[in-house]
Amino acid sequence: MLEILIVGAVSSAIYAMLAVGFTLIFGVARVLNLAHGSFYALGAYGTYFFTAHLKWPLLLAAIAAIAVVAVFGVFVERVLVRPMRASQLAVLMITLAVALVVEQAMFLTFGSEYRNVPAFVDAKFHIGGVDVAGARLLALGVGAAVIAALWLFIQHTRLGSAILAISQDPQAAQYMGIPSDRIFTVVMALSAALAALAGILAGPFLTVQPTMWLLPIVKAFAIVVVGGLGSIPGSILAALLLGYAETIVGYTVSTSWTEIVSVAATLLMLVVRPAGFFGKRAAF
Amino acid sequence: MFNKPVDLFGAAAFIAFMAVLPLIFPGNYLIGVLTVSVIYGIWAVSWDFMSGLTGRENFGHSLFIGVGAYTAGFLNTTLGVNGWWSLPAAMVMAVLFALLMGLPTLRLKGPYFALAMLSGAVIMQRLMLIFWEQTGGEEGINGLTPLIRNQLGFYYFALGVLVVTTALLMWLARSNWGLILRAIRGDEATCQAAGINVTYYKIASLMISAAFAGAGGAMYAHYQLQVSPQLFAVVTSITIITMVYVGGMATIYGPVGGAILLVLLTELLRNFGEWRLMIYSCTLIGILFFLPNGLIAPTWRRVRASLGAKE
Repeated sequence: MLEILIVGAVSSAIYAMLAVGFTLIFGVARVLNLAHGSFYALGAYGTYFFTAHLKWPLLLAAIAAIAVVAVFGVFVERVLVRPMRASQLAVLMITLAVALVVEQAMFLTFGSEYRNVPAFVDAKFHIGGVDVAGARLLALGVGAAVIAALWLFIQHTRLGSAILAISQDPQAAQYMGIPSDRIFTVVMALSAALAALAGILAGPFLTVQPTMWLLPIVKAFAIVVVGGLGSIPGSILAALLLGYAETIVGYTVSTSWTEIVSVAATLLMLVVRPAGFFGKRAAF
Repeated sequence: MFNKPVDLFGAAAFIAFMAVLPLIFPGNYLIGVLTVSVIYGIWAVSWDFMSGLTGRENFGHSLFIGVGAYTAGFLNTTLGVNGWWSLPAAMVMAVLFALLMGLPTLRLKGPYFALAMLSGAVIMQRLMLIFWEQTGGEEGINGLTPLIRNQLGFYYFALGVLVVTTALLMWLARSNWGLILRAIRGDEATCQAAGINVTYYKIASLMISAAFAGAGGAMYAHYQLQVSPQLFAVVTSITIITMVYVGGMATIYGPVGGAILLVLLTELLRNFGEWRLMIYSCTLIGILFFLPNGLIAPTWRRVRASLGAKE
């Protein structure tokens, strides 16, 4: 029971970090970024590269990886996505192509074997008779802290209000003198950095290999649909729901059913209430 | 677009080219590649009829393909039915699935419909793995009988199906039907206000699209002589959408060219070994970036303009 509680919380935290960035860039720029999973993969691979090949200390490597991924995210947004924003399908296709290029780049440089990302904490902890790896607890703690910080940033800073304003009404925000293009860049950097951080934290206990971008993007999609596209509280709630639902199904039924949980939840939500828990009723 | 002599000539030239190609370069390898490209052509055309015309991008077209292929697999191996019954049966099953998926999801717009269809395909793929005792799991169903034993004969059959499918869907797309579908893409609310039963048209077009995709799936199953859950994969849908994009959306004939071009390109890239997918993806980015209207349809428009044909 306690194990389900802890494991569920850890996967919820990772999911939330992924989904919040994904929903943020959709809410602000109306971009459904299929390359979001690649940022997660690049975070893990970057850390692996900096620690294993350049022998950098882990903290420095992690920070460098996050910075590199943020810059890459900005590049993708500025150069590839921005000229296509008029067409929803073109954006989906180009971000998907970026995801495939990243996958192939990882495959060509590092091969298809699993890679090890070192953990910040190696120790195991005893909590109420359950063994929990330190890396998992760290992922939970850092995830919760980062999302709380993001929430405070959006609610209480000038830049945060600008982001909120654009996601509520892009046109009105522009009339108020908010430089929307610059905000998109900031949000893309934030969103990519969050995904990279999720990759770095999940790297030690999940598999790091070229196709690792696919599952997170499916999960992020599911969470964001259930919570409501563009809504941050919605995606946090949905991340908790799906994280726990998957863990419970994994423990009680079988792990082969866990993958179906998030997808079935997506379909059910789209049929029953397409806008999600907290989304606007824009889906009809 | 078939009312001009130029277009009829173009279509005839294309069919003749595809028919003669395996005769000039004999060999089962080329016939195999061409057969696959023609089946992809059927899938791309059927995708374009629904999604290209109405603007509802279906990211789960592989659902209908897989349903068609598994129907063929079950009928042919478990029940031992003659392979020719697979085609109509696959079409019926795919249409039923289109109805099942379409009724709740087609009121959704833009990315929401795309996601709902994608989820449907992913669920089916997972179910095939979970109920492995019935479906053969990862291995799928093996030992289907070929429809036509002669490879070249089957290729011509597939080419014939492609030509008939394309002609039929093009005729539909140019009729009042197609006009209404295009109008739905333009402004659904206005269509509804004009007294058009929008839901009926959308679901019917999804069912037509699914029927041909299912037939293509059954043909693919009888060509590969096996079906696997990989048919339901998201990659299959994405490949088809890429083909339509390269061909030119909502033109019906463009996607045929896109499908054949991309299958041949993939084969040519085999020489590049592990760099193959990298080159493919980069080419894709290039096409998306520099040719937003696709490659095949705009090229054909330029050719017919230079031949003096007016729109």
